[in-house]
Amino acid sequence: MLDKSVFDSYQPTIGIECHVQFKTKTKLFSGADNDERGKLPNQATSPLCFGLPGTLPILNKEAVRLAVRAGLALNANIGKISSFDRKHYFYPDLPKGYQITQLDRPIVLDGFVDVPVGESMVRVRINHAHLEEDAGKSTHPAGAEYSLVDLNRAGTPLLEIVSEADMHSSAEAKAYVQELYLLMKYADVTFGDLQYGNMRFDVNVSVAKKGADELGTRTEVKNLNSFRAVERAIEFEVKRQIELLETGKAVRQETRGWVEATQKTVPQRSKEEAMDYRYFPEPDVPPVVLSDEFIEEVRGSMPMLPSKLRAEIEARGIDQQTAETLILRDALTNSSYTKTVLAQEGNEAARFAANFIANRDISYCDGLEKDGKSVGELPSAKKFLAVFELRQKGELSSNNADALLFALRHRPEAEPRELAEELGFLQENDSSALEAIISKVLAEPFNQKAAEDIKSGQMKAIGFLVGQVMKASQGKANPSAVRDLIIKQIGV
Amino acid sequence: MTQISKDDVKYVAALAKIAITDDEAEKFTKDLSEILGYVEQLDSVNTDGLQPTYQVNGLINITRDDQIIDYKTSREKLLANAPKTNGEFVEVPKVL
Repeated sequence: MLDKSVFDSYQPTIGIECHVQFKTKTKLFSGADNDERGKLPNQATSPLCFGLPGTLPILNKEAVRLAVRAGLALNANIGKISSFDRKHYFYPDLPKGYQITQLDRPIVLDGFVDVPVGESMVRVRINHAHLEEDAGKSTHPAGAEYSLVDLNRAGTPLLEIVSEADMHSSAEAKAYVQELYLLMKYADVTFGDLQYGNMRFDVNVSVAKKGADELGTRTEVKNLNSFRAVERAIEFEVKRQIELLETGKAVRQETRGWVEATQKTVPQRSKEEAMDYRYFPEPDVPPVVLSDEFIEEVRGSMPMLPSKLRAEIEARGIDQQTAETLILRDALTNSSYTKTVLAQEGNEAARFAANFIANRDISYCDGLEKDGKSVGELPSAKKFLAVFELRQKGELSSNNADALLFALRHRPEAEPRELAEELGFLQENDSSALEAIISKVLAEPFNQKAAEDIKSGQMKAIGFLVGQVMKASQGKANPSAVRDLIIKQIGV
Repeated sequence: MTQISKDDVKYVAALAKIAITDDEAEKFTKDLSEILGYVEQLDSVNTDGLQPTYQVNGLINITRDDQIIDYKTSREKLLANAPKTNGEFVEVPKVL
Protein backbone atom coordinates (compact mmCIF):
# COMPACT_ATOMS: atom_id res chain seq x y z
CA MET A 1 0.00 0.00 0.00
CA LEU A 2 1.54 3.24 -1.13
CA ASP A 3 1.49 6.35 0.97
CA LYS A 4 -0.97 9.07 0.02
CA SER A 5 1.92 11.50 -0.53
CA VAL A 6 3.20 9.19 -3.29
CA PHE A 7 -0.14 9.32 -5.10
CA ASP A 8 -0.22 13.07 -4.61
CA SER A 9 3.16 13.45 -6.28
CA TYR A 10 1.63 12.40 -9.61
CA GLN A 11 -0.60 14.39 -11.90
CA PRO A 12 -3.15 12.53 -14.04
CA THR A 13 -3.95 13.84 -17.52
CA ILE A 14 -7.27 12.95 -19.06
CA GLY A 15 -8.88 13.37 -22.46
CA ILE A 16 -12.37 12.14 -23.30
CA GLU A 17 -14.17 11.04 -26.45
CA CYS A 18 -17.92 11.15 -26.18
CA HIS A 19 -20.35 9.48 -28.59
CA VAL A 20 -23.75 11.15 -28.67
CA GLN A 21 -26.65 9.42 -30.45
CA PHE A 22 -28.88 11.89 -32.26
CA LYS A 23 -32.65 11.73 -31.86
CA THR A 24 -33.45 11.93 -35.56
CA LYS A 25 -36.49 10.02 -36.84
CA THR A 26 -34.36 8.07 -39.29
CA LYS A 27 -30.80 6.86 -39.51
CA LEU A 28 -27.80 8.81 -40.76
CA PHE A 29 -27.71 7.33 -44.25
CA SER A 30 -30.99 5.44 -44.61
CA GLY A 31 -34.67 6.05 -44.03
CA ALA A 32 -34.89 3.23 -41.47
CA ASP A 33 -36.58 3.99 -38.14
CA ASN A 34 -34.00 5.38 -35.72
CA ASP A 35 -36.03 4.74 -32.56
CA GLU A 36 -35.37 1.21 -31.38
CA ARG A 37 -37.24 1.60 -28.10
CA GLY A 38 -40.00 -0.96 -27.87
CA LYS A 39 -38.93 -2.64 -31.11
CA LEU A 40 -38.00 -6.26 -31.69
CA PRO A 41 -34.36 -7.08 -32.51
CA ASN A 42 -33.51 -6.23 -36.13
CA GLN A 43 -36.89 -4.57 -36.61
CA ALA A 44 -35.62 -0.98 -36.98
CA THR A 45 -33.56 -1.85 -40.03
CA SER A 46 -33.38 -1.44 -43.79
CA PRO A 47 -31.35 -3.05 -46.59
CA LEU A 48 -28.66 -0.42 -45.87
CA CYS A 49 -28.35 -1.44 -42.21
CA PHE A 50 -27.68 -4.98 -43.41
CA GLY A 51 -25.03 -3.69 -45.83
CA LEU A 52 -26.74 -5.31 -48.79
CA PRO A 53 -25.18 -4.89 -52.24
CA GLY A 54 -26.74 -2.22 -54.42
CA THR A 55 -27.71 0.09 -51.60
CA LEU A 56 -26.55 3.70 -51.55
CA PRO A 57 -26.24 5.96 -48.50
CA ILE A 58 -28.07 9.31 -48.61
CA LEU A 59 -27.29 11.78 -45.85
CA ASN A 60 -30.04 12.76 -43.41
CA LYS A 61 -30.42 16.56 -43.52
CA GLU A 62 -31.67 16.71 -39.94
CA ALA A 63 -28.50 15.01 -38.63
CA VAL A 64 -26.48 17.82 -40.22
CA ARG A 65 -28.65 20.43 -38.50
CA LEU A 66 -28.30 18.67 -35.13
CA ALA A 67 -24.52 18.45 -35.57
CA VAL A 68 -24.41 22.21 -36.10
CA ARG A 69 -26.56 22.74 -32.99
CA ALA A 70 -24.25 20.52 -30.97
CA GLY A 71 -21.23 22.36 -32.36
CA LEU A 72 -22.67 25.73 -31.38
CA ALA A 73 -23.35 24.42 -27.87
CA LEU A 74 -19.65 23.48 -27.73
CA ASN A 75 -18.64 27.07 -28.63
CA ALA A 76 -17.08 25.57 -31.72
CA ASN A 77 -16.38 26.75 -35.23
CA ILE A 78 -18.52 24.95 -37.77
CA GLY A 79 -16.81 23.36 -40.76
CA LYS A 80 -18.12 25.18 -43.85
CA ILE A 81 -17.04 22.20 -45.93
CA SER A 82 -17.09 18.78 -44.34
CA SER A 83 -16.83 15.36 -45.89
CA PHE A 84 -17.08 11.68 -45.10
CA ASP A 85 -14.52 8.89 -45.12
CA ARG A 86 -14.60 5.12 -44.93
CA LYS A 87 -13.00 3.46 -41.94
CA HIS A 88 -12.47 -0.25 -42.54
CA TYR A 89 -12.60 -3.01 -40.01
CA PHE A 90 -14.27 -6.36 -39.74
CA TYR A 91 -16.69 -6.95 -36.94
CA PRO A 92 -20.06 -8.72 -37.11
CA ASP A 93 -21.99 -5.66 -35.96
CA LEU A 94 -20.72 -3.74 -39.03
CA PRO A 95 -22.03 -5.68 -42.03
CA LYS A 96 -20.57 -3.41 -44.75
CA GLY A 97 -17.05 -3.93 -43.46
CA TYR A 98 -16.54 -0.20 -43.05
CA GLN A 99 -17.98 2.66 -41.05
CA ILE A 100 -18.82 5.97 -42.74
CA THR A 101 -17.24 8.64 -40.56
CA GLN A 102 -15.36 11.93 -40.92
CA LEU A 103 -11.58 11.94 -40.72
CA ASP A 104 -10.07 14.90 -42.57
CA ARG A 105 -12.87 17.42 -42.61
CA PRO A 106 -15.21 17.09 -39.61
CA ILE A 107 -18.37 19.17 -39.32
CA VAL A 108 -17.46 20.62 -35.89
CA LEU A 109 -14.03 22.20 -35.50
CA ASP A 110 -12.29 23.57 -32.42
CA GLY A 111 -14.39 24.70 -29.47
CA PHE A 112 -14.46 24.65 -25.68
CA VAL A 113 -16.62 23.85 -22.67
CA ASP A 114 -16.38 25.79 -19.42
CA VAL A 115 -16.99 23.22 -16.71
CA PRO A 116 -17.98 24.20 -13.18
CA VAL A 117 -15.96 22.09 -10.74
CA GLY A 118 -16.94 23.04 -7.20
CA GLU A 119 -16.29 26.75 -6.86
CA SER A 120 -13.99 27.08 -9.84
CA MET A 121 -14.29 26.79 -13.60
CA VAL A 122 -12.18 24.50 -15.77
CA ARG A 123 -11.98 25.13 -19.50
CA VAL A 124 -11.84 21.92 -21.54
CA ARG A 125 -10.95 22.54 -25.17
CA ILE A 126 -12.73 20.57 -27.87
CA ASN A 127 -10.39 19.32 -30.59
CA HIS A 128 -13.24 18.60 -33.02
CA ALA A 129 -16.46 16.60 -33.31
CA HIS A 130 -17.33 14.40 -36.26
CA LEU A 131 -20.48 12.81 -37.57
CA GLU A 132 -20.55 9.05 -38.11
CA GLU A 133 -22.83 6.03 -38.10
CA ASP A 134 -23.23 3.78 -35.08
CA ALA A 135 -22.61 0.02 -35.32
CA GLY A 136 -25.08 -2.72 -34.38
CA LYS A 137 -25.03 -4.53 -31.09
CA SER A 138 -23.61 -7.99 -30.53
CA THR A 139 -24.41 -10.11 -27.52
CA HIS A 140 -22.51 -13.12 -26.34
CA PRO A 141 -24.75 -15.69 -24.63
CA ALA A 142 -22.87 -17.36 -21.79
CA GLY A 143 -21.38 -20.68 -22.79
CA ALA A 144 -22.52 -20.42 -26.40
CA GLU A 145 -20.11 -20.89 -29.31
CA TYR A 146 -21.76 -18.06 -31.20
CA SER A 147 -22.66 -14.39 -30.85
CA LEU A 148 -25.94 -12.74 -31.78
CA VAL A 149 -26.21 -9.54 -33.78
CA ASP A 150 -28.99 -6.95 -33.61
CA LEU A 151 -28.71 -4.19 -36.23
CA ASN A 152 -31.36 -1.83 -34.82
CA ARG A 153 -28.64 0.56 -33.72
CA ALA A 154 -26.60 0.20 -36.92
CA GLY A 155 -26.61 3.49 -38.78
CA THR A 156 -27.87 5.68 -35.93
CA PRO A 157 -26.29 9.14 -36.28
CA LEU A 158 -23.49 9.67 -33.79
CA LEU A 159 -21.49 12.76 -33.02
CA GLU A 160 -18.09 11.90 -31.58
CA ILE A 161 -16.86 14.81 -29.49
CA VAL A 162 -13.11 14.70 -28.96
CA SER A 163 -11.69 16.80 -26.12
CA GLU A 164 -8.12 17.88 -25.57
CA ALA A 165 -6.38 16.26 -22.59
CA ASP A 166 -7.28 19.22 -20.37
CA MET A 167 -8.56 17.38 -17.30
CA HIS A 168 -6.40 16.41 -14.37
CA SER A 169 -8.66 14.58 -11.92
CA SER A 170 -11.57 12.16 -11.92
CA ALA A 171 -13.73 14.94 -10.45
CA GLU A 172 -12.94 17.25 -13.38
CA ALA A 173 -13.66 14.45 -15.84
CA LYS A 174 -16.99 13.66 -14.21
CA ALA A 175 -17.95 17.33 -14.19
CA TYR A 176 -17.00 17.56 -17.88
CA VAL A 177 -19.15 14.60 -18.97
CA GLN A 178 -22.04 15.95 -16.90
CA GLU A 179 -21.69 19.33 -18.59
CA LEU A 180 -21.60 17.64 -22.01
CA TYR A 181 -24.82 15.85 -21.07
CA LEU A 182 -26.47 19.15 -20.17
CA LEU A 183 -25.22 20.83 -23.33
CA MET A 184 -26.47 18.06 -25.60
CA LYS A 185 -29.85 17.99 -23.82
CA TYR A 186 -30.25 21.77 -23.98
CA ALA A 187 -29.14 21.80 -27.62
CA ASP A 188 -31.92 19.22 -28.02
CA VAL A 189 -29.94 16.82 -30.18
CA THR A 190 -30.31 13.60 -28.15
CA PHE A 191 -32.77 11.77 -25.92
CA GLY A 192 -29.80 11.62 -23.57
CA ASP A 193 -30.93 8.38 -21.99
CA LEU A 194 -27.68 7.01 -20.61
CA GLN A 195 -29.22 3.66 -19.75
CA TYR A 196 -29.82 3.09 -23.45
CA GLY A 197 -26.31 4.15 -24.38
CA ASN A 198 -27.43 7.45 -25.91
CA MET A 199 -24.14 8.88 -24.63
CA ARG A 200 -21.02 6.73 -24.29
CA PHE A 201 -17.58 7.79 -23.18
CA ASP A 202 -14.01 6.64 -23.89
CA VAL A 203 -11.44 8.04 -21.47
CA ASN A 204 -7.71 8.38 -22.14
CA VAL A 205 -5.70 8.42 -18.94
CA SER A 206 -2.01 8.85 -18.19
CA VAL A 207 -0.04 9.86 -15.11
CA ALA A 208 3.28 11.67 -14.72
CA LYS A 209 5.23 13.09 -11.81
CA LYS A 210 4.08 16.62 -11.09
CA GLY A 211 6.24 19.09 -12.96
CA ALA A 212 7.45 16.48 -15.46
CA ASP A 213 7.95 17.73 -19.03
CA GLU A 214 6.43 14.72 -20.71
CA LEU A 215 3.15 12.93 -20.26
CA GLY A 216 3.14 9.28 -19.24
CA THR A 217 2.01 6.38 -21.42
CA ARG A 218 -1.76 6.45 -21.75
CA THR A 219 -4.41 3.79 -21.67
CA GLU A 220 -7.89 4.10 -23.10
CA VAL A 221 -10.93 2.81 -21.20
CA LYS A 222 -13.73 2.32 -23.70
CA ASN A 223 -17.49 2.36 -23.66
CA LEU A 224 -18.41 3.87 -20.30
CA ASN A 225 -22.07 4.78 -20.13
CA SER A 226 -22.54 6.67 -16.88
CA PHE A 227 -20.96 9.67 -15.18
CA ARG A 228 -20.17 7.48 -12.23
CA ALA A 229 -18.45 4.86 -14.38
CA VAL A 230 -16.29 7.61 -15.93
CA GLU A 231 -15.27 8.79 -12.46
CA ARG A 232 -14.61 5.31 -11.08
CA ALA A 233 -12.75 4.02 -14.12
CA ILE A 234 -10.40 7.01 -14.01
CA GLU A 235 -9.82 6.63 -10.28
CA PHE A 236 -8.98 2.97 -10.85
CA GLU A 237 -6.66 3.64 -13.80
CA VAL A 238 -4.79 6.45 -12.04
CA LYS A 239 -4.14 4.25 -9.02
CA ARG A 240 -3.21 1.23 -11.15
CA GLN A 241 -0.76 3.25 -13.26
CA ILE A 242 0.90 4.90 -10.26
CA GLU A 243 1.30 1.54 -8.57
CA LEU A 244 2.90 0.08 -11.70
CA LEU A 245 5.35 2.97 -11.98
CA GLU A 246 6.19 2.92 -8.26
CA THR A 247 7.06 -0.78 -8.45
CA GLY A 248 9.37 -0.23 -11.40
CA LYS A 249 6.98 -1.52 -14.06
CA ALA A 250 5.84 0.22 -17.18
CA VAL A 251 2.34 1.22 -18.22
CA ARG A 252 1.38 -0.50 -21.46
CA GLN A 253 -0.41 1.53 -24.08
CA GLU A 254 -3.60 -0.43 -24.53
CA THR A 255 -7.37 -0.42 -24.70
CA ARG A 256 -9.16 -1.49 -21.56
CA GLY A 257 -12.73 -2.23 -20.62
CA TRP A 258 -14.64 -1.34 -17.46
CA VAL A 259 -16.18 -4.19 -15.49
CA GLU A 260 -19.09 -2.80 -13.51
CA ALA A 261 -19.38 -5.82 -11.21
CA THR A 262 -15.78 -5.66 -9.98
CA GLN A 263 -15.29 -1.88 -10.48
CA LYS A 264 -12.04 -2.62 -12.30
CA THR A 265 -10.57 -2.03 -15.74
CA VAL A 266 -9.27 -5.03 -17.68
CA PRO A 267 -7.22 -5.27 -20.87
CA GLN A 268 -9.26 -5.84 -24.04
CA ARG A 269 -8.23 -7.68 -27.12
CA SER A 270 -8.13 -5.00 -29.76
CA LYS A 271 -10.44 -5.31 -32.73
CA GLU A 272 -7.70 -4.75 -35.26
CA GLU A 273 -4.20 -5.55 -34.14
CA ALA A 274 -2.48 -2.66 -35.85
CA MET A 275 -5.48 -0.30 -35.85
CA ASP A 276 -4.93 0.06 -39.56
CA TYR A 277 -8.29 1.31 -40.74
CA ARG A 278 -7.26 2.11 -44.34
CA TYR A 279 -9.32 5.30 -44.46
CA PHE A 280 -10.24 6.80 -47.80
CA PRO A 281 -12.78 9.45 -48.92
CA GLU A 282 -16.31 8.01 -49.09
CA PRO A 283 -17.21 8.19 -52.78
CA ASP A 284 -20.96 7.65 -52.23
CA VAL A 285 -21.57 10.69 -50.01
CA PRO A 286 -20.75 14.10 -51.52
CA PRO A 287 -19.32 16.80 -49.26
CA VAL A 288 -21.53 18.97 -47.07
CA VAL A 289 -21.22 22.70 -47.73
CA LEU A 290 -22.87 24.99 -45.19
CA SER A 291 -23.70 28.63 -45.80
CA ASP A 292 -23.20 31.35 -43.21
CA GLU A 293 -26.95 32.02 -43.43
CA PHE A 294 -27.75 28.44 -42.45
CA ILE A 295 -25.32 28.48 -39.53
CA GLU A 296 -26.69 31.81 -38.29
CA GLU A 297 -30.24 30.55 -38.63
CA VAL A 298 -29.39 27.57 -36.43
CA ARG A 299 -27.62 29.86 -33.98
CA GLY A 300 -30.75 31.98 -33.76
CA SER A 301 -32.80 28.93 -32.79
CA MET A 302 -30.56 27.90 -29.88
CA PRO A 303 -32.05 28.08 -26.38
CA MET A 304 -30.28 29.61 -23.41
CA LEU A 305 -27.46 27.19 -22.48
CA PRO A 306 -26.47 26.11 -18.95
CA SER A 307 -23.62 28.63 -18.46
CA LYS A 308 -25.91 31.55 -19.27
CA LEU A 309 -28.78 30.03 -17.26
CA ARG A 310 -26.55 29.70 -14.21
CA ALA A 311 -25.62 33.36 -14.38
CA GLU A 312 -29.25 34.44 -14.84
CA ILE A 313 -30.55 32.26 -12.03
CA GLU A 314 -27.84 33.31 -9.62
CA ALA A 315 -28.46 36.95 -10.51
CA ARG A 316 -31.91 36.42 -9.00
CA GLY A 317 -30.33 35.68 -5.63
CA ILE A 318 -30.71 31.91 -5.91
CA ASP A 319 -27.83 29.85 -4.60
CA GLN A 320 -25.54 27.86 -6.87
CA GLN A 321 -26.70 24.45 -5.72
CA THR A 322 -30.36 25.23 -6.29
CA ALA A 323 -29.47 26.61 -9.72
CA GLU A 324 -27.65 23.37 -10.60
CA THR A 325 -30.59 21.28 -9.40
CA LEU A 326 -33.00 23.23 -11.58
CA ILE A 327 -30.80 23.05 -14.66
CA LEU A 328 -30.24 19.31 -14.28
CA ARG A 329 -33.90 18.66 -13.55
CA ASP A 330 -34.97 20.39 -16.75
CA ALA A 331 -32.56 18.17 -18.68
CA LEU A 332 -33.70 14.95 -16.98
CA THR A 333 -37.43 15.60 -17.25
CA ASN A 334 -37.50 17.61 -20.49
CA SER A 335 -39.16 20.47 -18.61
CA SER A 336 -38.55 24.20 -18.45
CA TYR A 337 -38.63 24.87 -14.73
CA THR A 338 -35.75 27.33 -15.06
CA LYS A 339 -37.90 29.39 -17.42
CA THR A 340 -40.70 29.47 -14.84
CA VAL A 341 -38.25 30.66 -12.20
CA LEU A 342 -36.72 33.35 -14.40
CA ALA A 343 -40.16 34.59 -15.47
CA GLN A 344 -41.10 35.48 -11.89
CA GLU A 345 -41.31 39.17 -11.10
CA GLY A 346 -39.02 40.06 -8.26
CA ASN A 347 -36.27 38.00 -6.71
CA GLU A 348 -38.36 36.81 -3.79
CA ALA A 349 -40.92 35.17 -6.05
CA ALA A 350 -38.10 33.67 -8.14
CA ARG A 351 -36.48 32.21 -5.03
CA PHE A 352 -39.80 30.83 -3.85
CA ALA A 353 -40.40 29.11 -7.17
CA ALA A 354 -36.79 27.85 -7.31
CA ASN A 355 -36.92 26.38 -3.83
CA PHE A 356 -40.27 24.77 -4.43
CA ILE A 357 -38.98 23.00 -7.53
CA ALA A 358 -35.55 22.14 -6.21
CA ASN A 359 -36.88 20.76 -2.93
CA ARG A 360 -39.14 18.27 -4.65
CA ASP A 361 -37.47 14.94 -5.06
CA ILE A 362 -37.10 13.97 -8.68
CA SER A 363 -38.98 10.76 -7.92
CA TYR A 364 -42.09 12.91 -7.63
CA CYS A 365 -41.97 13.48 -11.38
CA ASP A 366 -41.05 9.86 -12.06
CA GLY A 367 -43.89 8.74 -9.81
CA LEU A 368 -46.43 10.73 -11.78
CA GLU A 369 -45.12 9.24 -14.99
CA LYS A 370 -45.48 5.71 -13.67
CA ASP A 371 -49.04 6.41 -12.60
CA GLY A 372 -49.73 7.34 -16.18
CA LYS A 373 -50.41 10.93 -15.16
CA SER A 374 -48.80 13.53 -17.26
CA VAL A 375 -46.02 15.35 -15.48
CA GLY A 376 -46.66 18.34 -17.63
CA GLU A 377 -45.42 21.68 -16.63
CA LEU A 378 -45.27 23.22 -13.23
CA PRO A 379 -47.86 25.97 -12.79
CA SER A 380 -47.25 28.98 -14.96
CA ALA A 381 -45.00 31.76 -13.76
CA LYS A 382 -48.06 33.92 -13.13
CA LYS A 383 -49.66 31.28 -10.92
CA PHE A 384 -46.44 30.80 -9.00
CA LEU A 385 -46.53 34.51 -8.29
CA ALA A 386 -50.15 34.31 -7.10
CA VAL A 387 -49.30 31.44 -4.74
CA PHE A 388 -46.28 33.36 -3.54
CA GLU A 389 -48.42 36.40 -2.75
CA LEU A 390 -50.93 34.29 -0.80
CA ARG A 391 -48.07 32.84 1.18
CA GLN A 392 -46.56 36.27 1.79
CA LYS A 393 -49.83 37.68 3.06
CA GLY A 394 -49.99 34.78 5.45
CA GLU A 395 -53.08 33.30 3.86
CA LEU A 396 -51.28 30.04 3.12
CA SER A 397 -49.07 28.00 5.42
CA SER A 398 -45.81 26.76 3.93
CA ASN A 399 -47.19 23.22 3.66
CA ASN A 400 -50.37 24.39 2.02
CA ALA A 401 -48.44 26.56 -0.43
CA ASP A 402 -46.70 23.38 -1.61
CA ALA A 403 -49.96 21.45 -1.66
CA LEU A 404 -51.62 24.19 -3.70
CA LEU A 405 -48.81 24.18 -6.27
CA PHE A 406 -49.18 20.41 -6.64
CA ALA A 407 -52.95 20.74 -6.95
CA LEU A 408 -52.56 23.39 -9.63
CA ARG A 409 -50.66 20.97 -11.83
CA HIS A 410 -53.79 18.88 -12.16
CA ARG A 411 -56.19 21.83 -12.34
CA PRO A 412 -54.32 24.12 -14.69
CA GLU A 413 -57.48 26.09 -15.41
CA ALA A 414 -58.12 26.97 -11.74
CA GLU A 415 -57.32 30.33 -10.15
CA PRO A 416 -54.88 29.76 -7.27
CA ARG A 417 -56.93 31.61 -4.63
CA GLU A 418 -60.20 29.95 -5.61
CA LEU A 419 -58.63 26.51 -5.61
CA ALA A 420 -57.04 27.17 -2.20
CA GLU A 421 -60.43 28.14 -0.86
CA GLU A 422 -62.10 25.10 -2.37
CA LEU A 423 -59.48 22.80 -0.85
CA GLY A 424 -59.68 24.53 2.54
CA PHE A 425 -56.04 25.62 2.38
CA LEU A 426 -56.55 29.27 3.32
CA GLN A 427 -55.48 30.39 6.77
CA GLU A 428 -57.73 32.39 9.06
CA ASN A 429 -56.33 35.89 9.37
CA ASP A 430 -59.54 37.64 10.26
CA SER A 431 -58.70 39.08 13.70
CA SER A 432 -62.22 39.22 15.08
CA ALA A 433 -62.92 35.59 14.21
CA LEU A 434 -59.54 34.59 15.61
CA GLU A 435 -60.03 36.63 18.77
CA ALA A 436 -63.30 34.84 19.41
CA ILE A 437 -61.57 31.47 19.15
CA ILE A 438 -58.72 32.65 21.40
CA SER A 439 -61.11 33.93 24.06
CA LYS A 440 -62.82 30.57 24.03
CA VAL A 441 -59.53 28.69 24.33
CA LEU A 442 -58.27 30.93 27.15
CA ALA A 443 -61.52 30.43 29.02
CA GLU A 444 -61.03 26.66 29.12
CA PRO A 445 -60.02 25.56 32.65
CA PHE A 446 -57.59 23.13 31.06
CA ASN A 447 -55.58 26.05 29.59
CA GLN A 448 -55.43 28.20 32.74
CA LYS A 449 -52.02 26.96 33.84
CA ALA A 450 -50.39 27.93 30.55
CA ALA A 451 -52.00 31.38 30.66
CA GLU A 452 -50.73 31.89 34.23
CA ASP A 453 -47.23 30.80 33.21
CA ILE A 454 -47.20 33.37 30.42
CA LYS A 455 -48.38 36.10 32.76
CA SER A 456 -45.48 35.30 35.07
CA GLY A 457 -43.09 35.66 32.15
CA GLN A 458 -42.60 32.03 31.06
CA MET A 459 -43.10 32.65 27.37
CA LYS A 460 -42.36 29.13 26.26
CA ALA A 461 -45.83 28.09 27.41
CA ILE A 462 -47.24 30.10 24.52
CA GLY A 463 -46.47 27.32 22.02
CA PHE A 464 -48.98 25.11 23.82
CA LEU A 465 -51.70 27.74 23.59
CA VAL A 466 -50.98 28.46 19.92
CA GLY A 467 -51.36 24.72 19.33
CA GLN A 468 -54.73 24.70 21.10
CA VAL A 469 -55.96 27.63 18.99
CA MET A 470 -54.73 26.00 15.79
CA LYS A 471 -56.64 22.87 16.72
CA ALA A 472 -59.79 24.86 17.49
CA SER A 473 -59.50 26.62 14.09
CA GLN A 474 -58.98 23.29 12.32
CA GLY A 475 -55.55 24.34 11.20
CA LYS A 476 -56.72 27.36 9.30
CA ALA A 477 -55.38 30.04 11.63
CA ASN A 478 -52.11 31.74 10.86
CA PRO A 479 -49.84 30.72 13.77
CA SER A 480 -47.90 33.96 13.97
CA ALA A 481 -51.10 36.01 14.02
CA VAL A 482 -52.44 33.70 16.74
CA ARG A 483 -49.33 34.21 18.81
CA ASP A 484 -49.63 37.99 18.63
CA LEU A 485 -53.31 37.92 19.54
CA ILE A 486 -52.79 35.61 22.54
CA ILE A 487 -50.15 37.95 23.94
CA LYS A 488 -52.51 40.88 23.40
CA GLN A 489 -55.40 39.15 25.16
CA ILE A 490 -53.38 37.98 28.15
CA GLY A 491 -51.92 41.44 28.32
CA VAL A 492 -48.22 40.90 28.84
CA MET B 1 10.57 1.51 -57.62
CA THR B 2 9.00 0.76 -54.28
CA GLN B 3 9.47 -2.81 -53.26
CA ILE B 4 6.87 -4.31 -51.00
CA SER B 5 7.73 -7.35 -48.97
CA LYS B 6 5.96 -10.66 -48.70
CA ASP B 7 5.13 -9.70 -45.10
CA ASP B 8 3.41 -6.54 -46.36
CA VAL B 9 1.27 -8.67 -48.63
CA LYS B 10 0.37 -11.09 -45.85
CA TYR B 11 -0.47 -8.15 -43.58
CA VAL B 12 -2.76 -6.54 -46.15
CA ALA B 13 -4.40 -9.90 -46.81
CA ALA B 14 -4.99 -10.39 -43.09
CA LEU B 15 -6.55 -6.92 -42.78
CA ALA B 16 -8.90 -7.77 -45.64
CA LYS B 17 -9.57 -11.21 -44.12
CA ILE B 18 -8.37 -12.96 -47.27
CA ALA B 19 -6.62 -16.30 -46.84
CA ILE B 20 -3.69 -16.64 -49.25
CA THR B 21 -1.12 -19.39 -49.70
CA ASP B 22 2.60 -18.81 -49.55
CA ASP B 23 2.84 -19.15 -53.33
CA GLU B 24 0.11 -16.59 -53.81
CA ALA B 25 1.86 -14.21 -51.43
CA GLU B 26 4.98 -14.59 -53.55
CA LYS B 27 3.07 -13.83 -56.74
CA PHE B 28 1.21 -10.82 -55.26
CA THR B 29 4.44 -9.38 -53.87
CA LYS B 30 5.70 -9.10 -57.43
CA ASP B 31 2.33 -7.96 -58.88
CA LEU B 32 1.65 -5.33 -56.25
CA SER B 33 5.16 -3.93 -56.50
CA GLU B 34 4.63 -3.46 -60.22
CA ILE B 35 1.27 -1.80 -59.71
CA LEU B 36 2.74 0.54 -57.10
CA GLY B 37 5.59 1.35 -59.44
CA TYR B 38 3.11 2.27 -62.14
CA VAL B 39 1.13 4.53 -59.83
CA GLU B 40 4.33 6.12 -58.60
CA GLN B 41 4.59 7.99 -61.87
CA LEU B 42 2.21 10.45 -60.21
CA ASP B 43 5.02 11.43 -57.83
CA SER B 44 6.68 13.30 -60.67
CA VAL B 45 3.84 15.87 -60.69
CA ASN B 46 4.41 18.97 -58.59
CA THR B 47 1.41 19.30 -56.23
CA ASP B 48 2.77 22.10 -54.03
CA GLY B 49 0.00 24.37 -52.79
CA LEU B 50 -2.81 22.18 -54.13
CA GLN B 51 -5.77 21.01 -52.06
CA PRO B 52 -6.25 17.25 -52.04
CA THR B 53 -9.03 16.02 -54.33
CA TYR B 54 -11.72 14.42 -52.22
CA GLN B 55 -14.21 13.95 -54.98
CA VAL B 56 -14.42 14.48 -58.73
CA ASN B 57 -18.10 14.79 -59.64
CA GLY B 58 -18.65 18.22 -58.09
CA LEU B 59 -21.81 17.19 -56.24
CA ILE B 60 -22.54 18.76 -52.85
CA ASN B 61 -25.26 18.51 -50.21
CA ILE B 62 -27.04 15.42 -51.51
CA THR B 63 -29.39 14.92 -48.59
CA ARG B 64 -32.85 13.64 -47.80
CA ASP B 65 -35.53 14.78 -45.36
CA ASP B 66 -35.78 12.99 -42.03
CA GLN B 67 -38.78 10.83 -42.97
CA ILE B 68 -39.08 7.08 -42.55
CA ILE B 69 -38.86 5.30 -45.88
CA ASP B 70 -40.87 2.18 -46.60
CA TYR B 71 -38.33 -0.19 -48.16
CA LYS B 72 -41.05 -2.72 -49.07
CA THR B 73 -39.29 -5.48 -47.25
CA SER B 74 -39.53 -7.14 -43.85
CA ARG B 75 -37.31 -8.11 -41.00
CA GLU B 76 -37.73 -11.75 -42.01
CA LYS B 77 -36.64 -11.09 -45.58
CA LEU B 78 -33.65 -9.06 -44.44
CA LEU B 79 -32.60 -11.70 -41.92
CA ALA B 80 -32.95 -14.37 -44.62
CA ASN B 81 -29.92 -12.81 -46.38
CA ALA B 82 -27.67 -13.66 -43.45
CA PRO B 83 -25.66 -16.90 -43.71
CA LYS B 84 -27.13 -17.94 -40.38
CA THR B 85 -29.87 -16.66 -38.10
CA ASN B 86 -30.97 -17.51 -34.60
CA GLY B 87 -34.54 -16.47 -33.88
CA GLU B 88 -34.65 -12.69 -34.23
CA PHE B 89 -30.88 -12.33 -34.53
CA VAL B 90 -28.09 -12.84 -37.01
CA GLU B 91 -25.89 -15.60 -35.67
CA VAL B 92 -22.13 -15.29 -36.11
CA PRO B 93 -19.12 -17.24 -34.87
CA LYS B 94 -18.25 -16.25 -31.32
CA VAL B 95 -16.54 -12.86 -31.09
CA LEU B 96 -14.63 -11.37 -28.13
